[in-house]
Amino acid sequence: MPGADTSFGNARTRTGLTHWLAWFLVLALLTVAMLALRTHLDKAHVALLFLLVILGASGAGGRWLGLSVVATSFVLFNVLFLPPYYTLVIANPLDWLVLVTFLATSLVAAQLLHRARSEAQEAQERASEVDRLATLGAETLNAPDAHDGLRQIVEVIRATLGVDECDVFERDAEVARPAASSRIASVPGPSAPAPAGEGSLVGWILQSGARAEELADGTVRLSGDDQASADVRALAVPLRVKGATVGVLRVASAAGLRQPPEWRRLLDALAYYAALGVERVRLTTIAERAEAERRLEALRSALLTSVSHDLRTPLTAIKGLAHEIQQGGSADSASVIEMEVDRLNALIGDMLELSRIQAGAVRPALVIDTADDLVGAALQGARSILRGHTVEIDAPTDELLSGRFAFTESLRVLVNLLENAAKYSPAGSTIVVRVRRDAEWLSISVLDRGPGVPVAERDRIFEPFYRPTGTPSDVGGTGLGLSIARGLAEAQGGRLRFMPREGGGSCFVLDLQSATIPDVDD
Amino acid sequence: MLVIDDEPQIRRVVRNALQSAAFGAPDDPEQPTVRVLEAATGTDGADLAASELPDLIVLDLGLPDQAGLAVCREIRRWSSAPILVLSARHADTEKAALLDAGADDYITKPFSTVELLARVRAQLRRARQVSEASAPAERVVLGALTVDLTRRRVERGGTLVHLTPTEWALLRTFLLNPRKTLTHRQLFTAVWGNSEGDAQQYLRVYVGHLRRKIENDPMRPRFLQTEPGVGYRFEPELAPET
Repeated sequence: MPGADTSFGNARTRTGLTHWLAWFLVLALLTVAMLALRTHLDKAHVALLFLLVILGASGAGGRWLGLSVVATSFVLFNVLFLPPYYTLVIANPLDWLVLVTFLATSLVAAQLLHRARSEAQEAQERASEVDRLATLGAETLNAPDAHDGLRQIVEVIRATLGVDECDVFERDAEVARPAASSRIASVPGPSAPAPAGEGSLVGWILQSGARAEELADGTVRLSGDDQASADVRALAVPLRVKGATVGVLRVASAAGLRQPPEWRRLLDALAYYAALGVERVRLTTIAERAEAERRLEALRSALLTSVSHDLRTPLTAIKGLAHEIQQGGSADSASVIEMEVDRLNALIGDMLELSRIQAGAVRPALVIDTADDLVGAALQGARSILRGHTVEIDAPTDELLSGRFAFTESLRVLVNLLENAAKYSPAGSTIVVRVRRDAEWLSISVLDRGPGVPVAERDRIFEPFYRPTGTPSDVGGTGLGLSIARGLAEAQGGRLRFMPREGGGSCFVLDLQSATIPDVDD
Repeated sequence: MLVIDDEPQIRRVVRNALQSAAFGAPDDPEQPTVRVLEAATGTDGADLAASELPDLIVLDLGLPDQAGLAVCREIRRWSSAPILVLSARHADTEKAALLDAGADDYITKPFSTVELLARVRAQLRRARQVSEASAPAERVVLGALTVDLTRRRVERGGTLVHLTPTEWALLRTFLLNPRKTLTHRQLFTAVWGNSEGDAQQYLRVYVGHLRRKIENDPMRPRFLQTEPGVGYRFEPELAPET
């Protein structure tokens, strides 16, 4: 039967059937027509007309239709048009010659047509295959994210090969065992249960570079080109780039995998794309890690520089002043020492705090408290530095807003925001504290009319030791305030955001988890 | 006065500071010097506190022989002298635990002598007031606010203020403990007894409601001050506007 090809078998059988019906109908009509005119027709006319139908049928319906039409025409010619009629007997020996010539010509014509047709079809299939691969290559390798690219490849492979499942495993670079692997892309989703023993099979393929087939009964065997049977449920092939096995591609189908040669060829080509995809993921990961390490290192050395500078400056001052006092210097020096000690103490406190936050050691207990309490305590805590400013509170007066947060940590954040607002905005200007609540957040904003933050520096203001460019060194602070503030906000499930204020200045928003109080008033 | 600290340097600083200031009672201004006793360990400190009955104890938390918290609790069992705790750590939970253990105030290192003396003075004044007027007045007038403790009536500017029973219990507790930092736990116990209940987690919300009823500006409270992470403190005097 013509349906030996898997992927398009059904469609071909259907069109084939119509061809068969159509061409046999043509043959029947022609025969009836010629029968009516039998007396006026020469044997050559009949043979030529039959040949015409044979060529048509071979061209349109393929070899088997062609040969069937040849056989039928041969019998019809003999029985109906070579005397004596209605028998297979041939009276005239010359008629034998006509008949045999007819048969030979028909067979050769059908055969030639079939070959031309199948070559054309193959060329067309190749072309579409190349087309598909080219699209796959362009789309997937250009995907901005390497993992997305690989997922697309996997989806295309699954669709193209007509399988149920398609998984790609990569070699785990992190793990010492060379055979360790992890599934990095799969269809359907990664939540699909992994077949038993899959990990070890993948590991074995990574090591040996062989392909393996999983049979319906759960056994695994080496895959060879000569072995093809419907028992094969899954096929796992190594993915190679430049001779090295970088991963494993596994395709599985519940109905079993038949593996005709063109399917295997397609699999090999697609597997190469999968291999390139895996390799790209691997290289991207390495590059990202290197970049992250580089950035971390830069940050670390910047930190170290700042720390040693900020720690040594007050120490130098203290040492010099102590020496002065020893020499009988003025008592003023002693008060400067006190100030420098306070500065050092603040810096050490901040650094300890920041390192605790960064180590994840800050896990404050959350309590239900009111915005009144927090804002009140913050205004109290920052009152000395707020002295030159007017503070305007913009909060609903008819409702007591509450949230679930860590009080002292949030207080620290808010005091820091108020201090920054006072430090960086002109004396006498108004600082607004705005309190709002929605279903999710209790938001406390501090708005000032200072210079704001240039767009280029907006990402950096939360980094340790950031100070606005052009800040005079006598504007106090350790440069750690906002990093600590953000760390403290996030440690309690909140957020700290910056946005430019309309009309100039800065707006820092502390978002804390909102809480609704059940009516417990007794 | 008694200073319990294992560091001689700190003892010296505290002793000098205490002696430089005269802490005589107002009616006895001639009292020339302050006698300062020193102890290097918790055990010695507790013994001295028992034998000498000091007016005030300065206690360091980081003692070599026993935890400062235990010393504090030990002394509090038989002495009502104010205890001022010195601590190098800043954790609020620790402060709250100290106050729960009977300490009256805490001060974190490094501290300035000015701050230390101010706190000592405040504690001495409070101790004297408590001994002078152990029974609270029946009627308390705080500016525009009038609280009648026996009739359970609160008036603000001549208008009756309605308080829920919980708010009333809170206000009463504050009025009975002026200038004293009350920890959250102490307030729970005072208002709800020792029962565990849902209402306790809303203590801070009740304080918020109470503030809105008795304070002119609840964000800038005059009477009910927040001690961050520790509790609340009632200030009966009208502090100057800041």
